Amino acid sequence: MRTRRYFLDLNDVQFKQVKLPLKKKLGRLSLWFGGTVALTVIYATLFHSFFGSPKEKMLNQQVENMKLQYKLADRELNNSFKVIESLRMSDEIRYRPILGMDSVSMSIRNPGFGGVDRYRGLNGYVYSDMMKSVRERIDEMKNMVSVQQSSFEAIEERRIEWERMYEYLPMISPVDVTIKLGDGIRYREVHPVLGTPQWHYGQDFSAPYGTEVYATGNGKVIAAGWNSGGFGNHVVIDHGYGYQSTYGHLSSIKVSVGMDIKRGDLLGLSGSTGTSSGPHLHYQIDLYGNHQNPLNFFNNDLTEDEYFEMIRMLTSSMKLK
Amino acid sequence: MPKSKYKFNPESLSFDKVKLGFRAVLLRGLAYLVGSLLIAIVYYMIFAIFFDSPKEKALLREIDQLTLQYDLIHREMNDLDKVITHLQETDDNLYRTIFEAEPIPSTLREGGEGGVNRYKELEGYNNSSIVIETTKRLDKIRKQVYLQSKSFDELIELAKRKEDMLKAVPAILPISNKDLKRTASGYGLRIHPIYKIIKFHAGMDFTAPTGTDIYATGDATVKAVVSAKRGLGNHVILDHGFGYESIYAHMDKANVRVGQKVSRGDIIGFVGNTGTSVAPHLHYEIKLNGNNVDPVNYYFNDLSPEEYEEMIEIASKTGQSFD
Repeated sequence: MRTRRYFLDLNDVQFKQVKLPLKKKLGRLSLWFGGTVALTVIYATLFHSFFGSPKEKMLNQQVENMKLQYKLADRELNNSFKVIESLRMSDEIRYRPILGMDSVSMSIRNPGFGGVDRYRGLNGYVYSDMMKSVRERIDEMKNMVSVQQSSFEAIEERRIEWERMYEYLPMISPVDVTIKLGDGIRYREVHPVLGTPQWHYGQDFSAPYGTEVYATGNGKVIAAGWNSGGFGNHVVIDHGYGYQSTYGHLSSIKVSVGMDIKRGDLLGLSGSTGTSSGPHLHYQIDLYGNHQNPLNFFNNDLTEDEYFEMIRMLTSSMKLK
Repeated sequence: MPKSKYKFNPESLSFDKVKLGFRAVLLRGLAYLVGSLLIAIVYYMIFAIFFDSPKEKALLREIDQLTLQYDLIHREMNDLDKVITHLQETDDNLYRTIFEAEPIPSTLREGGEGGVNRYKELEGYNNSSIVIETTKRLDKIRKQVYLQSKSFDELIELAKRKEDMLKAVPAILPISNKDLKRTASGYGLRIHPIYKIIKFHAGMDFTAPTGTDIYATGDATVKAVVSAKRGLGNHVILDHGFGYESIYAHMDKANVRVGQKVSRGDIIGFVGNTGTSVAPHLHYEIKLNGNNVDPVNYYFNDLSPEEYEEMIEIASKTGQSFD
């Protein structure tokens, strides 16, 4: 129970119970309220000045967390840049030189976005620079990645073409390498049969009658049969890329016009048909109709076993494909 | 002056003036303080829930933007990661198909800079640098000893003319080969690019664009400058003395004349694709007393022990030569 309080009314010298009218009560209440608010402000100010605001602290902590995330992202980006750089080196130093491709200039690989402020929307923040830098680096990375992608695509395309080309060019010996070389490409004062001065446009191999003659590169048979010009039974293969190879004086022919031929396929057996003074193979390579020296197209550096191992490998691997 | 207050005392039936002792005043004061603090905390919390200070507002805006951007960044980086992984696979496939070899492990490719490794490298850095230095020196010595112990005659000659010999013996890479990316194919049995059979590869191939400088690997006299369309193509043979010869093949063109004296590092020609070669590359051979030796053992002036290891790894793994 509340103790009643009294006051001495000096007007009629009586103790009267202290009773406050509603208005005064309200007044007091609002005064009390005002007082406490004022106190709160004072307390808060004091507290803030010594300890800082807890909410701000919490928010700052969040900002710190985000900064850490950005730092981690940045580090991850650094790694990605390293990987991309390694891929670029692989691309530029390994593949392009081998495949005879021009290098991609740095200005294409990484044009940069200097000048234009692409992230104006990120201006006006404390960490504008941090956000912008990561975004910009990602853009840079995206660009490098897409250039690298298309570069690799180009390389792969060229690689397939490169591999194909070296399968098509006439780059092995048409007969067993142990067979002695005959007359090479040269001007002959006296043709062994005709007796007149003439150019010899190919390489002769002193192959005994019946020696197996192999295709020296992939291609299409464009002639297989009698040649009235002196080659006798002959085979001509079109290798593409401007190259044709001719095999003359054969005793028998195992292919027909229009056939697709793989390197190492048996074309026929050597003989002495046509303008020939004895069994031999006439082997000729033309590039866009210009006679080439066949000896420039292969190394005579195989043993007999290696030669036939090669023929076996070439024909078996081709069948697998 | 405040009006005095009175309390009715029912026992004495009189009004007593309300008097407060010091303790009571203090207690009251404390009660007021605690009360007001409690009230203040309640106010503060209510205020904090509904209102933000300008500073907090700025912070919140910052956090919102940071989070938004981060989500974006995170997504983009994930996408990029996938593409980059795919690119690495493409790289491996290209390597596999061009060199007919398993790609060099990516740890080697990235220079051993994987996250965990880096810290390990940092640990005991002082010690490791000593170890590296020592290994380097040891390795040099080991290689020198290897050379010196080749034959007793050589050793005597070496003792007499060690300096000359060290200048003359091939000891550097014949082309500049940063990161060793230009190593393509080593010495030994390799798949021939055309014959597709395993052939002995008497030298080392370095792939490089046509026109890349080729250096003399030791002091020497130019023994031969050959122009050819077959075999080794345009090539230069250097006579280093002491039984050593080095051959630089498939050059675009030579830069020296027969009989000319060259010093280690002189440009003797330029990389090309002449002779039987399927790509611009330098085929480098070293002969000792007429026999081919593995050139990988003759780069000791150029390579750190780690690079040497890596070079051996690359050279031994590569399955296909380029001639």
